[in-house]
Amino acid sequence: MRILIVEDDLEAAEAMARGLTEVGHECARGADGEEGLAAARAGEFDVMIVDRMMPRMNGVQLVETLRREGDRTPVLFLSALGEVGDRVDGLQAGADDYLVKPYAFAELIARIEALARRRDTGSVQTLLKVGELEMDLIARTVHRQGKEIDLQPREFQLLEFMMRHAGQSVTRTMLLEKVWHYHFDPQTNVIDVHISRLRSKIDKGFDRPMLQTVRGAGYRLDA
Amino acid sequence: MAVRLPRIFRTTPFRLTLLFVMLFASAAFAFLAYIYVATAGEATRRTEREIVREMRSLVDVYDRAGVDAVNQSLIERAASEKPFLYLLLTKDGRRISGSIEESPVENFTGAPAWATFQVTDETPDGREVKHPARGMQQQLHGGEILFVGADAGEDEAYVARVSRALWASVALVVLLGLGGGLLVSRNVSRTMVNLIEVVERVRNGEQGVRARVRGAKDEFDELAQGVNEMLDRLERSMAGHKHAGDAIAHDLRSPLTRLRARLETAYLDVESGKGDPTQALAQALEDTDGVLKTFGAVLSIARLQAAGAAPDPVLFDPADLAADIAELYEPFCEEKDIDFSAELAKDLTVRGNREFLAQALANILDNAVKYTPAGGAIMLRVRRRSSGEVEFSVTDTGPGVPEEDRERVIQRFVRLENSRNEPGAGLGLSLVGAVAEAHGGRLELSEGPGKVGEMGPGLRVAFILPRA
Repeated sequence: MRILIVEDDLEAAEAMARGLTEVGHECARGADGEEGLAAARAGEFDVMIVDRMMPRMNGVQLVETLRREGDRTPVLFLSALGEVGDRVDGLQAGADDYLVKPYAFAELIARIEALARRRDTGSVQTLLKVGELEMDLIARTVHRQGKEIDLQPREFQLLEFMMRHAGQSVTRTMLLEKVWHYHFDPQTNVIDVHISRLRSKIDKGFDRPMLQTVRGAGYRLDA
Repeated sequence: MAVRLPRIFRTTPFRLTLLFVMLFASAAFAFLAYIYVATAGEATRRTEREIVREMRSLVDVYDRAGVDAVNQSLIERAASEKPFLYLLLTKDGRRISGSIEESPVENFTGAPAWATFQVTDETPDGREVKHPARGMQQQLHGGEILFVGADAGEDEAYVARVSRALWASVALVVLLGLGGGLLVSRNVSRTMVNLIEVVERVRNGEQGVRARVRGAKDEFDELAQGVNEMLDRLERSMAGHKHAGDAIAHDLRSPLTRLRARLETAYLDVESGKGDPTQALAQALEDTDGVLKTFGAVLSIARLQAAGAAPDPVLFDPADLAADIAELYEPFCEEKDIDFSAELAKDLTVRGNREFLAQALANILDNAVKYTPAGGAIMLRVRRRSSGEVEFSVTDTGPGVPEEDRERVIQRFVRLENSRNEPGAGLGLSLVGAVAEAHGGRLELSEGPGKVGEMGPGLRVAFILPRA
């Protein structure tokens, strides 16, 4: 993926770029809002990582400008501010996701990949298919190898999210945010139990587990 | 060298007063000047009317009875209390009789003519006093010339009195205005000086200084009250930030110290070939995540305390929120073999930040799950208190918290001795406390259901929100 990093903290940007390059992405950088805007206008990127507070043009202004110009490149906002209002501001400006500093690198990668994926799904799908697993979003049914799997509403939502991001690592925080719509970290890993319940329903009795635990990151649904 | 006026003369109220005094004095002066002109003119006109009347009556006498009768009449009239001045002349200007020696009218043509002149009077103590006088001269039908005049001294004195009165009243207006102005501005200044002093002292870094509210309920009191409230807020906020800074430093020092110690041990272990580097790094990462979690919690608490109020409050049904959180935690309880139940009253409304309240409830449940042993029970309740307040409560069958420690566990970073080995930063309940406070509510800890065999007595955490 081609990723644009707009961040005025050069050391942080450098570390981010190195990390992203290591996992196979191509990175370009802008050291402030105006540089970022120029870079975004000049090149095609799959995802932009934009720091919220920067000299010359802040992240919110940058994203607003790009959106006004019709640029729909997914944007991940980075910020040291983490309150509800700040997140809402960022999303309102047109950012697609929001990550609070300091963050785990795995979290950053998982979110970037999720954002890049989101771009592909232009048309409305009524049927999700990942390997042997099929989900009918209208009938609200799930089948694996043609066998119906009975899920609770929340388990259904959880699986839907995993299927939409099949093959990608998804962190616990992402699940809590996107499936439960909470933006805090519980001290205990309540999500793990939900995942293990889901896993027991979709993997038990089948020859091969689909729902994987990714060490240090979260979970991944493999085809 | 510029002369510096005393402060009172430089105040805005005094300047305003001065302006008003000037305006008022000018108005009074104009008004009085009009009265003066009217009065003084009237006195002269009255004198002239009297002279004309006297002249007419003497002409009458002359026409009926001739010069001698006029002479006779002049003699009689000269003895009256307020005599006119008379002079009777022959056709060619020789004096026949009269009370003055010669006519003040010069170049007499025969037509009636007026003159203003001076008469000399002798006061009882022998001094000579000059009075202004006015008179008219007219030719009689027989050719003789008659002059009738009147001492205008009385009128002049009257006009002088009026004009003195006028000046006096202007002076009085100015004096009263200035006096009143000084009084008003001193009053206003005192209030303002108090406010200015408060502002100056606060600017110089003094705390706890407050403006005096006089209880007059006027705009100055409003201003003073406004300033005081602003200072209260600022001080609270400053204290919050200061406290937050201290607390963050304090709360992060121990986890960071722990992290460093572990890294050092791991480093030494790996160096001496005893430890596995991958495992050491994984452990270090996990520890760092722990520090970050603590940091997040501390930051949230600090911000809530600094803000003093929960941001973006909305009205919502507390049972919905509780059901949501219950759904999140129920499988977790089941996994740990804890019996979870919920009893949620319907149709209640609370006002608050849903996100923070969800987090508070999650933290309470986190805590309950952490301390409740397998085979225990947790109950989540939402109910309306008789006071109208809405209470979320979580009751567990864990070891509970001794009464003397309950206040303390809501404080920052407190974990009781026997729970040192449990994971968690120990900030859970302090965040809950901060959320409650930010919503105008409170946190109450009490004993759970009591001791049953190995279990109990349990803990009941009640999160109470004010009536919406």
